[in-house]
Amino acid sequence: MDFSELSHQQEIRESLNKIFSEKCSPEKLKNFDNEFKHDEKLYDFLASNGYLGLGINEKLSGSGEDLYDLGILFECFGFHAAPLCLTGCLVDVAQTLQKFSKNENHQSIVSSIAQGEIYTSAILEPLNHDPENPTTTAVFDGEKIIINGTKYLSEISSLAKGILISASSNKGVILALVKTDNVKLTQLTSTANSPLFKVELKNVSIVESDVVHEEGRGLEALKYLLQINMVMRSYIALGVTNKMTSLIASYTSEREQFGRVIGTFQAVSHRAADCFIELECLRLVNQQASTNLNTSLDCENDALVSKIWAGNACHKISYSAQHLHGGAGVDRDYVLWRYCLLAKECELINGSASQNIERLGLNITANQ
Amino acid sequence: MLIQLNSQQAKLKDELHEYFKGLLTPELKAELNNPEHFEGGGPEFKKAMLTMGKDGWIGLSWKKEFGGKELSPIEQYIFVETVMRTGFPFPFLTTESVGPMIAEYGSDWAKEEIATKILQGKLIFGIGYSEPNSGTDLASLQTKAIKEKDGYIINGQKMWTSLANFSDYIWLAARTDFEVKNHKGISMFIVPTNDPGFSLTAINTLGDVRTNATFYENIKVPDSHLVGEINQGWSLITSQLNLERLALVNHGPVEELYRNVLELAQNTKISNDQFLTDLSWVKQNFAQIHSGIEALKLICWKQTWIMESDQLNMAEASVAKVYGSEFFIEAYRLLMEIMGELSILKNDSELKILNARLERMYRTASILTFGGGTNEVQRDIIAMAGLFMPRSR
Repeated sequence: MDFSELSHQQEIRESLNKIFSEKCSPEKLKNFDNEFKHDEKLYDFLASNGYLGLGINEKLSGSGEDLYDLGILFECFGFHAAPLCLTGCLVDVAQTLQKFSKNENHQSIVSSIAQGEIYTSAILEPLNHDPENPTTTAVFDGEKIIINGTKYLSEISSLAKGILISASSNKGVILALVKTDNVKLTQLTSTANSPLFKVELKNVSIVESDVVHEEGRGLEALKYLLQINMVMRSYIALGVTNKMTSLIASYTSEREQFGRVIGTFQAVSHRAADCFIELECLRLVNQQASTNLNTSLDCENDALVSKIWAGNACHKISYSAQHLHGGAGVDRDYVLWRYCLLAKECELINGSASQNIERLGLNITANQ
Repeated sequence: MLIQLNSQQAKLKDELHEYFKGLLTPELKAELNNPEHFEGGGPEFKKAMLTMGKDGWIGLSWKKEFGGKELSPIEQYIFVETVMRTGFPFPFLTTESVGPMIAEYGSDWAKEEIATKILQGKLIFGIGYSEPNSGTDLASLQTKAIKEKDGYIINGQKMWTSLANFSDYIWLAARTDFEVKNHKGISMFIVPTNDPGFSLTAINTLGDVRTNATFYENIKVPDSHLVGEINQGWSLITSQLNLERLALVNHGPVEELYRNVLELAQNTKISNDQFLTDLSWVKQNFAQIHSGIEALKLICWKQTWIMESDQLNMAEASVAKVYGSEFFIEAYRLLMEIMGELSILKNDSELKILNARLERMYRTASILTFGGGTNEVQRDIIAMAGLFMPRSR
């Protein structure tokens, strides 16, 4: 048992915090509040310094497959509310292709991702609460596979070279790459101003080599994708809630009312302490899920537990932070508001706490 | 980062599991089901303690030079976990807290006479800290020990002295200096319960756990009964409480109960083709408990890992105490909801084993949120040590 970070992990954390502090200052973040929220310069900077290769095999231009390394990236990204979208590309596409595809072209895509090329995923569907059963269809027609359906919440799709989609076919679920040029994209406006898209697939034709897994392993690959996505989103949630908790601590240690700093009121300090407890729990369940995913491709319950804690922590800590800050918390000239919006995004995308509780309950009670 | 038990630790767990299966004879189980012996103290309990002493299962955390096994904190945690799962009222406070301190800081007499016998399973201690007017503010305690020639005269009253009704000694905190700040004038003594100046009255509690008020009237103890330096008792108390807190929130018992209720629910038919676990709210309750237990397990594991490297993280120790004690209450509630009104029955013939336990556990759970350092103080500590906020007042 070892809860410590290896020295290279400490270095990753330190350098990322340094980079993000510098490049995601409140003044710089402001530039993206009403614009397309993706800082291309920052993205290229991360790529050229090797940070997009975290969690990717050395042979594929990465720095090793340890998912905890990748978790650090997502935690730091959340802590600084960096104007980037990383999950679809670095998690969904890179990790799934790396683990499941034997195709050399796909392996070189992973390598190109580590070097800054953008791909994305389109997995979720409007009002479909069961992403393991896509309503999007794939029909095998000779050499071709024809895809039809609608996806949404696909990140920075307009910048992506290709999109990884899930679809149901008569051979089971498949995951395949489609060219961005072959789909219809509509940008969605969302709560945290993340550049998310609706992806419409109308008779999109692909070939078998676009499928990113061996035959019959589609569901396994999709489950893996959903699990690792949950865990990495929970790392963003960890960064976001950690930042909000530290804002609570510093604000209530300075703000004076009734002639004393409000942090000396037990009602205030205890609410802050409850945020700290929630945060500790979230950190630990994330660490367990990501390290277990290092050795197994299926850790569904660990991933669910992680996302359940993330959903609850995002909700509770966000509202505690807003409340304890009073008016400053909602003032767009202060920093907290961005985190509150990001928290709602982390809480809800790829399974809310209630939805995941239901799923976890199903798993637990089914295992005799 | 690796968050799993290693193979040796897993082996220890299995070994302990088997050992306790053998130790818990039907006679011992029957005795422990008697409210009078819930906490131990009966003849079968005493026999089991002697056996454990002989088999070397006492003194796990003790240093080797004192006859212990010097197990690592994680191995000790596994021991506590496994024992607690069995329901055997192992006297951890005597063997793992008081014992090692006496072995290290006691007089020659205490080392030979007391420490050795604790290792053999022959002695039980009660803990004499709280007083009628000193609970959370423990350092204000007023029981006094006045220096005489060759010894001390002890006078005072203690509250919540659990196990005192069958203990051989009390590990007693008394004031030895009245001029200095509260916590600087306290010393620790070994006080025999067979002294004529010692008396007690029972306090019967909500959870059927018996505890006691204990009275100390002109009890004279020789110098050899002082443990550690005079007026240096506070550090012994606080280091003991740190250990105690972690043992209190061990995830073993609640997980054991969760597994038992789950198994029962999976096999309980509520109609021709439906089991209890088919109900969606039942699934949700189990999932809530599961995700809560995972966090508790990880908090405890991390604490033991921190202890292994001799670091101390005050905020995280308090997180364990607050989270664990409050989670237990929630978990018992969710489990009782699953069993429904059956869980308030104490002697339903079919579900006796499980429900009697659940029915009793929920009644004992509340003591943990205030016992061992009340949660308000723990939250104060978290805000100060974890978030660097100013001291609240």
